[in-house]
Amino acid sequence: MSLPPPTAVLEGGRKAAIQSRRKNLTFDKVSFMAVFLGIPLAIYLVFVIWPFLQAFVYSLTDWSGFSPNYKFVGLDNYARIFTDDQFLKALSNNVILLIVVPLVTVVLSLVLATLVTVGGSSKGQVKGLRNSSFYRVVSFFPYTIPAVAIGIMWGQIYDPSGGLLNGALNALGLNFKDYAWLGNTNTAMWCSIFVIIWGFVGFYMVLFIAGIKGIPAELFEAARIDGAGRFRTAVSVTIPMIRDNIQTAYVYLGIFALDAFVYMASLFPNAGGPENSTLVMSQQLFFTAFQRGQFGMATAMGVILALATLLFSGLVFLVNKLTGGSEGGRL
Amino acid sequence: MNVQQSFARRGFLRGALATAVLAPMGGALASCASGGGTTAGPTGTVSDTNPFGVPDNSTVDAVIFKGGYGIDYVDFAGSIFNKNHQGSTAKINPSTAISTELQPRFAGGNPPDLVDNSGAQSIGISTILDQLEDLQPVVDAKNLEGTPIKDTLYEGVLAPGTFNGKLVAINYVLTLFGVWYSASLFEANGWTPPKTWDEAYELGEKAKAKGKYLFLWGKEAASYYLELALSSAIKEGGDEVRVALENLKEDSWKHPALTKVFEALDKHVKAGHFKPGGSGTAFTAAQAQWSNGQEALLYPSGSWIENEMKDQTKADFKMTGAPVPTPSSSPKMPYEALHSGGGEPFIVPSQAKNKAGGKEILRIMLSKDAAANFAKTKLAPTVVKDTVPADGFGSTALVSQTKMLDAAGKNVFNWQFLDLYGMNKDVLVVWNAFLDGKSNAANLANDMQKMSDKIRNDSSIKKVEIK
Repeated sequence: MSLPPPTAVLEGGRKAAIQSRRKNLTFDKVSFMAVFLGIPLAIYLVFVIWPFLQAFVYSLTDWSGFSPNYKFVGLDNYARIFTDDQFLKALSNNVILLIVVPLVTVVLSLVLATLVTVGGSSKGQVKGLRNSSFYRVVSFFPYTIPAVAIGIMWGQIYDPSGGLLNGALNALGLNFKDYAWLGNTNTAMWCSIFVIIWGFVGFYMVLFIAGIKGIPAELFEAARIDGAGRFRTAVSVTIPMIRDNIQTAYVYLGIFALDAFVYMASLFPNAGGPENSTLVMSQQLFFTAFQRGQFGMATAMGVILALATLLFSGLVFLVNKLTGGSEGGRL
Repeated sequence: MNVQQSFARRGFLRGALATAVLAPMGGALASCASGGGTTAGPTGTVSDTNPFGVPDNSTVDAVIFKGGYGIDYVDFAGSIFNKNHQGSTAKINPSTAISTELQPRFAGGNPPDLVDNSGAQSIGISTILDQLEDLQPVVDAKNLEGTPIKDTLYEGVLAPGTFNGKLVAINYVLTLFGVWYSASLFEANGWTPPKTWDEAYELGEKAKAKGKYLFLWGKEAASYYLELALSSAIKEGGDEVRVALENLKEDSWKHPALTKVFEALDKHVKAGHFKPGGSGTAFTAAQAQWSNGQEALLYPSGSWIENEMKDQTKADFKMTGAPVPTPSSSPKMPYEALHSGGGEPFIVPSQAKNKAGGKEILRIMLSKDAAANFAKTKLAPTVVKDTVPADGFGSTALVSQTKMLDAAGKNVFNWQFLDLYGMNKDVLVVWNAFLDGKSNAANLANDMQKMSDKIRNDSSIKKVEIK
């Protein structure tokens, strides 16, 4: 029995296949490529890539936004932005959001997801807490409310004189009369972060539940037989198995934390909170563009925001890879 | 198999990407978002009944801010336009976000023929100054009754729309600023609105004795106290205070008159005359605490306050306005002097297709029928005189406005720099901290001065000299 080495056969076959494909550029294939590749690509280029390039060009100009005329000023806008204490303040606020919001949201929603899927009785089938489907629905509620409504609603809850929070605290005998939660630099940012997390936890919980449901139940059972407790199961089985979901959630939440416009703008209309303690870059961008009429400067801020987002996503991927996650992950 | 195939696909993608990137580059880079040049547009014959030459069978495209006043008052003028100009139609479109909605149209060179540039998202006027029509011909023209419009207007109402000597905006609604109070509450307690800051302090102490505050504020409206301070200081120190501030002069915020006012306010803050927690309260909620809860005696605001709080004002409140107090009893301007601004600034863009139509609608609005209709339906005076009857349609606030205006006579003033340079956002931050007691008079002046200096020293911001 002397067979040719298997690879050689494959090589030859592959070449032939490619050649025959090249020869047969039938109408069928061309139209298929045009419709499923050409059109989406063209749309992507015209509506995504092209505006990006335009934005970059505008960031090099002194365009006011309202006139067709502008002149190029080189990197002036960027130099100005990085010496502007307000933008830097906004940037640092975004960094705080970037560190806190994804971390807390992911941990919290992971805990909740674990509880409602595998955190139940340790006897019999692996299952969640009793009434877990009820908790699942309830915790998803906040996500169904539009962000603006959430901002307005929490603005009322935090109200110093008539708000629910101070009312509850006073009823408990604590003296919080007229304490302005959103009016003090110590509390404004943390109160806003709480609102944001409150709005997002339910959604990411559902995301993680879907991930956990995809893990074969045998794995959990095996871990249990080996004597792993609930916490150990979560750390050693659940998290490694839904690593990609966590990475996705982290990137999305990070992108959101770099924006955060809607929440901040509805909690603090027309301004950046007490001593700008909740001012975010996107708000500063909006003010610069539409109130000051400096679109050139505003687009430069937009470019910086985009770069920061890319940098953050890259960082998350890198960390995941370095800590042994699957290559590239999926988004 | 796998590797080779994916390479072939990538090659195709790369090629497609390259061509797609290169193709639009050449032509589009030059054009960007910029639009065409000036459009002259067709013109009709100019006559006494058609002073701007509205062409026959034309349409007028008006975009009107839909806020507290709605847009029906412009619809009213539009229907007169349709009647007077057979075949022509006025299209009145509402908008709640003038700036974001019209930015592409201005940039693209096809703005509407008439814009009510108002609301929180109005276009910063300095960015479009050189793209606006001179509206002097409108006020020079005769109204529908045959009287030149400029003779029918209140004193000083054109100043807020005049920049670099050019009238680019006509503020349709007359807004005057003062401190507002409940006449019935004051009468019951024998109080009178304070004329000096010393009197205000005494009143604050009396309020305290009754378990009330003198003032309160809301986070988005902390700037109303800046308005109060500026009015007071300008009355105290005369017009020089205003001119220095308007032109962002060095140390303009350290003027003795302003220092005195800031110190007086600081004294109120430290004495607990302000209801605490304003920096975390929505301004509408705060205002209701004044008009409905009567937790505070005075509220500084513009004359829109009655309309704004209509549904949340206590029965028999009898809202009444008074001029703001001054530091001394002998200010340079009389106590009756008023900050009279304008609301709803109407502009006609130079690039508009039917500029004549836009101006014609403005002319109709400034004529008797439309102005009287506005006063009657909105309970607010327009810049046109004599449209409010003596009983003010039963509104005490409206009656007091007319009284204040008559008493002020020519002593009205107005400032533009806050809007002109988009300072509101920064003002709110500084004033919330001050009213909260986290700052003091000296810091307040420093913060405001810094804000002004920053704009003055920023060469990318176009300055407008104001007289």
